[in-house]
Amino acid sequence: MLKFFNLIQNENMKIYRKGSTKVMILILLTLVVTVGLIFKFGTKDKPITSEWKQELIAENQQYQKQVEQSNSGPEKKYYQKEIAKNEYRIDHNVKPVSGKNIWNFTNEMTGMTQLIIIFTIIVVSTSISSEFTWGTIKLLLIRPVSRTTILLAKYVSSLIYSIFMILLLFAFSWFIGGILFGFGGADILNLQYVNGHVQEINWVLYEFKQYGLLCVQLIVMVTLAASIASIFRNSSLAIGLSIFLTMAGSIIIQFLSQFEWVKYVLFVNMDLNQYIDGIPFREDMTMGFSLSVLAVYYLIFAIFGWLFFTKRDVAS
Amino acid sequence: MNQPVIKLEHVSKTIGKKTIIDDLSFDIYGGEVFGFLGPNGAGKTTTIRMIVGLMKLSKGNITIHGHSIKTQYKDAIKHVGAIVENPEMYKYLSGYQNLIHYGRMISGITKERIMEIVEVVGLAERIHDKVKRYSLGMRQRLGLAQGLLHKPSVLILDEPTNGLDPAGIREIRHYIRKLAQEEGIAVIVSSHLLSEMELMCDRIGIIQQGKLVGVETVRDFVQSDETMQVQFTVDQPSKASQIIMETLSLRHIKHNETIIELKIKRDDIPLVCESLVHAGIKLYAITSVAKTLEDKFLEVTGGSGIA
Repeated sequence: MLKFFNLIQNENMKIYRKGSTKVMILILLTLVVTVGLIFKFGTKDKPITSEWKQELIAENQQYQKQVEQSNSGPEKKYYQKEIAKNEYRIDHNVKPVSGKNIWNFTNEMTGMTQLIIIFTIIVVSTSISSEFTWGTIKLLLIRPVSRTTILLAKYVSSLIYSIFMILLLFAFSWFIGGILFGFGGADILNLQYVNGHVQEINWVLYEFKQYGLLCVQLIVMVTLAASIASIFRNSSLAIGLSIFLTMAGSIIIQFLSQFEWVKYVLFVNMDLNQYIDGIPFREDMTMGFSLSVLAVYYLIFAIFGWLFFTKRDVAS
Repeated sequence: MNQPVIKLEHVSKTIGKKTIIDDLSFDIYGGEVFGFLGPNGAGKTTTIRMIVGLMKLSKGNITIHGHSIKTQYKDAIKHVGAIVENPEMYKYLSGYQNLIHYGRMISGITKERIMEIVEVVGLAERIHDKVKRYSLGMRQRLGLAQGLLHKPSVLILDEPTNGLDPAGIREIRHYIRKLAQEEGIAVIVSSHLLSEMELMCDRIGIIQQGKLVGVETVRDFVQSDETMQVQFTVDQPSKASQIIMETLSLRHIKHNETIIELKIKRDDIPLVCESLVHAGIKLYAITSVAKTLEDKFLEVTGGSGIA
C-alpha cells in the first residue's frame, strides 16, 4: 500500500512537472475569465418587468407554435421543457430573475468539464504511451512492482488530476462569478425538468449533480484513452483517436439515430444529464440503462488496456 | 565456484515463426564480469530483456538467486539493477528527481543513499540539472546510478561504454571490475567493442543467430591452447632457425630477415633461448603474439554477419 502511494507520488511528479500540464491549467483559468467577461458585458439581458406573467404566457404561446411546426423530436422536447418551466413559474408565482448571477454563471461553467475531459485524455495517454516512446518504460518495469500496479497508479493519478481540475474549475468560476456578478444569490430559485415534471432544486446540489454526471462521462472517456494508449503505445495516436471519438460522438449518433440499436452506442449513453434536466435520446432509455451500458463499455476498455499493458513484450 | 546467481535453462524465444533465441543455457556467478558478445541482431538485447522480464520466455526458465523470473518476478528482480540499451530518463526532470523516482519503487532507499550513489558515479555537481542538459556520458552515469541505487547483487549493462570518452570508458571499466571483485556483484555486460570486453570481463559468452556458440574465460578464450605463437628477434635468422629446429626437432620454421615466428609450448621457450645463446646468436627480443579477442571472435563466428 505504501508502495502504491509512492507510485502515485511518482506519477504526480511526472504530470505536474511537465510544462504542458501548467499550460492546461492556464488555459482553463483564462477561459473562465474570458467567458465571464463576455457573459457580463457582451450579452444583453431581457429586463424583467412587473408584467412578467403576461410575458411568460406570450413566450409559451410562441413556444407552442414552434412545437407544432417543428419536425425534429429533440427540438419539440426542448420547447416542451421550457413551456413546463414557465408554467411552473406562473403557477407558483415565482418571478424570473436575471440570468446574470453567480449561480447561473457557475452552472454555465460546468460545461468546461468537456475541456477537462480532453485534458485528462491527454494526460493519461501521455502518461502511458510516452514511457514507450521515450524508452523509459524499460527502466520503469524492471522494479519489484507488478505491471498492474504501475498501470493502476497511472490511471488513478490521471483521475486525481481531473478531480483537481474540476475543483479548480468550480472554485475559480465561483470566484470570478462573484467578482463579476456579486456573491450571494443562493436564494435564487433553480428549476429542473425530470421525467416531464418541474422541480425546485438547490443550486449547489444541482451543480454537484451536473459535475457528478460529467464525471461518469470523464471516467469512461479516460479509460477509453488509457486503453488506446496501452494498446498502441503511441501518444499522438492515443490522444488523436480519443479526442476524435469525443468530438465525433454526436455526429455518429445523428447518423445512426434511425436504428434501434443506437441505444447501445457508447456516445448515446455518455450524456447522463439527459435524464436529470433534459430529454432522453430515446424514450425506452433510462438512467439505469445508460449506466449499465457504460459499465459494460468500461469493463471492456479496462480489460483490454490491462491485458495489453501487462502481457505484451516490451520489444522496441 | 559458488552457487550461480543467474541460471538460464534452455531459454528460447520465438516471435511468430521466427526463432530469435534458441535453447540458451548458461550460469553466471557472483563476483564475475560476464561479457555477452555477438554481432548485431544475434539476440543479445533480447536475452537481456528476457532476464529482466521485459520480454516473456517462449520456452525454458531463468532464475535469479533461485527465484524464477516467470513465477516469482518481484523476488527475482529486486536483486537486479540494469540499463537496457540506452539509459533513457525523464528529460524534463532533474537527475536527482529521476533517482527519487526509481528510489520510490523499491523500499528502503533513503535520500542519503541517493546522494551517496550520486557521489560514486561522479554526478554530484550536476545532479540538480534537468536531464535534457546532460551529455550522453552523464546520462550513462545517471543510468548506472539508477541501477546501483538498491545495491543489487546482479548488474546488467547493455553497452555501458557507449558514448563515453576514453577516460570515461576507463573509469567505468575500473568501477565495474571493482564492483565485481570487492562487492561480489555478478555483472553482465554486452558490448560490440571486443577490445573493451577483453579488458573488462572474466568470462565471455558468444551468441550468434540466437545460439550460444561458446562460453569461455577470457584467458582461455584468447589462448585456448597450451602452445602459443612466439616471435624471436635475432641477428642471424637462418642460423637460428636451424638451431631451433634441431632443439625442438621441428621440420620447418618461418622466418624473415630479423624475426623467427613459430608455435611453441610455453615450457620450451627457455630451452630455445638457452640453445640460441649457446650458439652465439644475439637475441634481441621474445614476443608472444597472443591472439586478440577480435581474431578469436572472427574465427568463432566465421567472420560473418558483423555490422
